[in-house]
Amino acid sequence: MNKILSLPILVVSACLFFTACVQDTNFDQAEDIALTPIVELDLIYFDLHADRFFDTITSNPIFTVRDTTEIRFLDDGSLQESLKRAEFYFKFANSISRNFQVDFQFLSEFNDTTYVAGTFVEQGTLASPVITEFTEDVEGEDILKLTQANKVVVSVTIPSSDENLEGTLNLKSKTTYFLEY
Amino acid sequence: MQHFLTIILSLVGVLAISQNKQILYGFDDIPQSLMLNPGSKVLHKKHYGIPFLSQVHFNGGSSGVSVYDIFKDGNDNINDRITRKIFEMKNTDFFTATQQLELINFGWRAKNEIYFSGGIYQEFDFIAYFPRDLAILAWEGNQDYLDYQFDLGEISTTGDFMTVYHFGLNKTINKKLTVGARLKLYSSMFSYRSVNNSGTFVTRLGDENSENIYEHTVESADVSVETSGYASLRDLDGSGQVTSEILGRAFFGGNIGVGVDVGFTYEINEAWSLTVSALDIGAIFHSKDVESYRAHGTYTLDGINLIFPPLNQGESTFPYYDDLENEVEREIPIDTLYNKYTQFRPMKFNAGLSFGFGSFNATGACDCLNPGGNKLHKQNVGLQFYSIFRPKGPQMAGTLFYFRRLTEYLSAKATYTVDSYSFTNVGLGLSADLGKVNFYIAADNLIKYSNLAKAKSVSLQLGFNIIIDEE
Repeated sequence: MNKILSLPILVVSACLFFTACVQDTNFDQAEDIALTPIVELDLIYFDLHADRFFDTITSNPIFTVRDTTEIRFLDDGSLQESLKRAEFYFKFANSISRNFQVDFQFLSEFNDTTYVAGTFVEQGTLASPVITEFTEDVEGEDILKLTQANKVVVSVTIPSSDENLEGTLNLKSKTTYFLEY
Repeated sequence: MQHFLTIILSLVGVLAISQNKQILYGFDDIPQSLMLNPGSKVLHKKHYGIPFLSQVHFNGGSSGVSVYDIFKDGNDNINDRITRKIFEMKNTDFFTATQQLELINFGWRAKNEIYFSGGIYQEFDFIAYFPRDLAILAWEGNQDYLDYQFDLGEISTTGDFMTVYHFGLNKTINKKLTVGARLKLYSSMFSYRSVNNSGTFVTRLGDENSENIYEHTVESADVSVETSGYASLRDLDGSGQVTSEILGRAFFGGNIGVGVDVGFTYEINEAWSLTVSALDIGAIFHSKDVESYRAHGTYTLDGINLIFPPLNQGESTFPYYDDLENEVEREIPIDTLYNKYTQFRPMKFNAGLSFGFGSFNATGACDCLNPGGNKLHKQNVGLQFYSIFRPKGPQMAGTLFYFRRLTEYLSAKATYTVDSYSFTNVGLGLSADLGKVNFYIAADNLIKYSNLAKAKSVSLQLGFNIIIDEE
């Protein structure tokens, strides 16, 4: 009798295990999972003194000064796939009594220009530096161009210069990366 | 089969519970209860576990989230659900998974009335605490969290894969007291841990005097990962070689540890009995194939400072980016260390208080299950306590149970458990003797069984033994 009872109970308990299931769920939704972090990151900064625009040896003005830095993370494969939008923010504080044209030229590994941006910077005075803010919003097809770049050339052009020019052109900048994984 | 696979995958995929086996604890009809209390009352003369089938144990849980919470079929967006959960969960929430497979288990009562038992089992144990801050940073980014200090110390996880060789003694000292102890030798096949980390990451908006718009600061970081059995796997080619190398360590080819289990049963009176056990009091000494990584330091990133150096034709400017990378590596170096380390096993503590009533052998026939002469109760009710020591402190569970000996061949135990996962965990275990073959099965969270997706934890043990009762 006991053995007779044991078997059905075992069968019932076994059935319980084999019929356990996962309901009311939809695992296809996994494809919709998207991380969308928005990352704020400093970019470049500099302090350019007015005397940098005049060659004291030759007594000639230097109208354009340039510098280049690699930004290797930009053409990284995973960033290329996940970057949906990038917003560059440049903040100039100019205490030089000249305005400037500042250009940002993004270059690929092979020095091909992939993206350019630029702005006009208002002239200021030593006593009261003038703030110029510039935002460059990059999205859509331009993102593809931007993420081909792995270096940026910064060119600062002054319309005129002399040896008595004083002051500093200061730049602070950051980028907001809108990502989607 | 599909459903069965679903269960297994859910157990593994959801990640899992702790190592609580509240149904098996005190279930003296099942030889494996001796593994939970070496001082439990042994009712049989000999037992042999059927190799590889005497205990299959899965245990999985996540204290803060269930599969259903994320993947439920609804109109709201899955990403909103994930966001909600990330903010709901605490950094003390955790995911655990435990799996055990007994290879051999045997026991016999010697002439001196000591019940010897021994065996070999393989164990995988994993726990990861939810690194809430890092999850927020990855999910949302830092834009909305300026000045917020993301805690790097929330990283806390361990994982072990090992073989355990054990041998134990169990002796009834007198009518009231039964004691037992078990010696364990651990053969670690693979192990890692990242605990006791510290440090913060913060993005602050700079002021007029700051170099740049923001200051991204990693402060007092000290994050390490210790591994053993990992470095030598890196150079192997393909999963076949990795598997054979790991299995080769099962027989003391890896790092060795030692530990003990101790326990007792004390019959307070005819009705009441108290059981207590402490398991895995021991450590593994990692000395072979050890490799650890440690990142530490403080660094503030301001971006790239352009100097605009005067250059002649063909001259290159400074390697700003390389310099920056070098500076970061110098300030927050990632060291590779080969120091030995000792890892304490997660000690488990069990206690049970049981009240028995109803005489099982009321018919007066042979009391085959109870040679020692102590009265077997038909029913028992009681409570149990369980705790396991984990990196961020003990995790505890309380259980109310009802045990019933249905027939001479069949007994059952029902449990209600309150733990870190839920307040609605009902479990059921059955032990059946079909001739000399004992089969048992125990599972918890039965209320959620109709939809495992809603369970935050699941636990399953089953196995076959051959039991030879006292003549």
